[in-house]
Amino acid sequence: MKKRGSRRGKSKELLPSSIENLKTNLQEAMHNNPDFQMQEFETGSQRMLVFYISIIVKKQQLNNHILTPLLEGDKQWTSEKLSNALPLGNSVAQTKMEEIVDALIMGSVGIYIENETELLTYPIPDQQKRQVDKSDKESTVLGPQDSFTESLTTNINLVRWRVNTGDLVTEKMIIGERVPTEIRLMYLKSLANKEDVQTMRQRLQDLVVDRIEDATPLTYYIEDSSTSIFPQFYQTELPSRFSYSLTKGRVGVLVDKSPTGIMAPTSLFSFFESTEDVYMRWNVGSFIRILRFFALIISALLTPAYVAAITFHYEVIPTPLLTTLGSSRAAVPFPPVFEALLLELLIELLREAGARLPTKVGQTIGIVGGIVVGQAAVAAGLTSNILIIVVAISALASFTAPSYLIGSTIRVIRFPLILMSGILGLIGIMASICFLIIHLLKITSLGRPYLLPMYPFVGKDFSKTFYRLPYYFNFKRSYSYKPQDMIRFPKKKSRKMKDIDE
Amino acid sequence: MNPTNLTIKPTMRIKAFYLFFIMTSIQTGSGIMGVPRYIYMQSKQDAWISVLIAGVLVHIVLAAMFAILNHYENTDILGVQTDLFGKWIGKLLGTIYIIYFFFVLLSVTMDYIQVVQTFIFPRLSAWVLASVLVLLIVYAVMSGLRVAVGITFIFFFLSLWLLVFLYKSVTYMEITHFQPFLSASPLELLQGARHTSYSYLGMEILFFIYPFISNKEKAKLATHLGLGMTTFLILLVTVISIGYFSPGELPEQIWPVLVLFKIVEYSVVGRFDVLVVTEWMMVILPNMILLAWMISHITKRLYHVQQRKVLMVVAILLLIGAGITKHEYFILQFINGVAASGFWIAFVYPIILLPMVWLKGKWKKSKKAGAKT
Repeated sequence: MKKRGSRRGKSKELLPSSIENLKTNLQEAMHNNPDFQMQEFETGSQRMLVFYISIIVKKQQLNNHILTPLLEGDKQWTSEKLSNALPLGNSVAQTKMEEIVDALIMGSVGIYIENETELLTYPIPDQQKRQVDKSDKESTVLGPQDSFTESLTTNINLVRWRVNTGDLVTEKMIIGERVPTEIRLMYLKSLANKEDVQTMRQRLQDLVVDRIEDATPLTYYIEDSSTSIFPQFYQTELPSRFSYSLTKGRVGVLVDKSPTGIMAPTSLFSFFESTEDVYMRWNVGSFIRILRFFALIISALLTPAYVAAITFHYEVIPTPLLTTLGSSRAAVPFPPVFEALLLELLIELLREAGARLPTKVGQTIGIVGGIVVGQAAVAAGLTSNILIIVVAISALASFTAPSYLIGSTIRVIRFPLILMSGILGLIGIMASICFLIIHLLKITSLGRPYLLPMYPFVGKDFSKTFYRLPYYFNFKRSYSYKPQDMIRFPKKKSRKMKDIDE
Repeated sequence: MNPTNLTIKPTMRIKAFYLFFIMTSIQTGSGIMGVPRYIYMQSKQDAWISVLIAGVLVHIVLAAMFAILNHYENTDILGVQTDLFGKWIGKLLGTIYIIYFFFVLLSVTMDYIQVVQTFIFPRLSAWVLASVLVLLIVYAVMSGLRVAVGITFIFFFLSLWLLVFLYKSVTYMEITHFQPFLSASPLELLQGARHTSYSYLGMEILFFIYPFISNKEKAKLATHLGLGMTTFLILLVTVISIGYFSPGELPEQIWPVLVLFKIVEYSVVGRFDVLVVTEWMMVILPNMILLAWMISHITKRLYHVQQRKVLMVVAILLLIGAGITKHEYFILQFINGVAASGFWIAFVYPIILLPMVWLKGKWKKSKKAGAKT
């Protein structure tokens, strides 16, 4: 704040002054803004000035709660009396021009009574915001459907109501040198690991940047490894997911003007967790979670494995299957790598086009692209229909990840994998897998290993990460992230086994 | 400051639990692919007894290693050697370790490249495979011991499933291949035991990794269990190989363990051994990474050179060494040479070293007592 103040550089004593003087000073400070309005009133023997930027204040509030009481019944006003009399809260007494301008920009109304030593500002900002809506990026079948909006107050409101305990801390910070953005660091005071909170706070405080565009770019500024392709902070637009993480002892960050909440620390596996698994019965939830891990493997490895087998290792394919594959590939003039890359590219094009186009057109494009082009490509002998199945399955599998970010990471990883399998066959795939695992072992999230609880090995947390168990096994929080309080609820005394017919 | 003892930062320490995986992974690598043949050539159908004998002897060596290390507060073999023989001989012995580990690393790399060339890509240049492996090693060792141990740990589980597919060859085993029982002479049995040494190489890593262990009281159990796991694996493949291959066939197979998987066939997978050879990369990579880490670590300890630079030099030498060798016969001879020298360095040396450490300790004590009175 100080820095921006000094840029305008006004050091002369501003108040008290005459209305005319103040008017010219204000007009100059606001750079003759056409939306800046100043109204002069006279009550009794006093002259007063009411000024504001007309398009960012609530007109109705201004009329009902400021102008009406102010002008009713010819009273004698002083600044002190005024701040007591007006029914609007948090009036601020200002003396410096820079602060007045800052307040005006944030949607305040200024009132000055002639010859007083200070003027009052009342914040009545009129922020345009979207209604709380159903989430469409991370949709769930069960559980809460609401999603974050672009308004920080709404988002905090959503989280506060979910985690309605005095333990929830929201630390306010301002980031951005040129365009300041408010952010909130949120965590549960008696639960979150203090080291994690401190690391996150430190990273946010140390960040010097002219402006943050959104929560997502913010993570790129503060994450552990910028070169990695893997996201290291979890980003969600679901307040339920956000609150769920908070109650598990994680640290959350909300950014003004952004519909995304950031959570840290996180592991690779939490990107395959959905809050829905918690709402499901434990056995069904486990099944779905394991299914997602399978989907990860399929989407990354199916096409490369196909390419490797068709290019180099026919002997791995049993003879009956080989004849099927051979007849389907008989007319295709390209090498398998090229064929696979072509089709993968087609799928990516469809996905990207589908994301950009309006919903109604998007469906049409999906049909035209997927069915018509696919069919035609096979009929024309450009690709084999088995490869189309393979590519479609792996594309489908990549969309099962509950986090859009990790889904796109996997889709990108597939291309180098296909290339490697085209060059070195199975050995190339294996080398790439080894490389990926080494890479995953190297990266951290907020200083904690990315592959927790797999390495470092925390066997007790497996039931929270890879599968789920009935609730009475989960009476402890995860060891991996060292929350301050391990116990969720007292362990039930083991029930004595009843004999049959007892 | 006592130069013998090492202080390791708490963040760089690892738990004793991982010693199990380190031990098993560094020993199970290229050696186990061919070990049944070597033992069989010495002690025929009693090869499995040789394995058991070797297992017991190796456990004794390990106990000796622990005795040496526990004699000091927190040190590795380099500190022990400096303490016993002085600075210069200590450095010389350390350098021998460096060269030896490099040759082990080179032999593992050459062996795997040869396996891949034999089973999958007969015409693929060794340079290509060597550079892929070297790149992976460099990338992993760059992040230090913790990542190296992590790779060991995860790859252990990712390759463990291979054991399941030995079931098919188990069903084809012939009990008559083991008869007549105990026909080998004790000397032949010991000769057979000695030929397992290449598969047991790598247990010297304890000498270097010990200072990094955070809970030393559990180290013994984990390490002995790891060694037991290796013995079990060697025993398993030896028994299956003897039972599966006919007596005349086993000495003909350079990698009998890989051939064991050839019989496995499913409606979706034809030649299973191709997958096994591919998967074997996950078996040998931890091996190579730990060896490369040790080389860089020892060089830093001895000569205060940056580990990064050492690693680069090792990578280049390894690439050249693995790239230019082509002849199968030379590779076999090289591996035999490494195995022979490894026998002395890994198994005989600790046994010789132990009495010296004890004597030195006694001498020191009496000197101290003498000084007091």
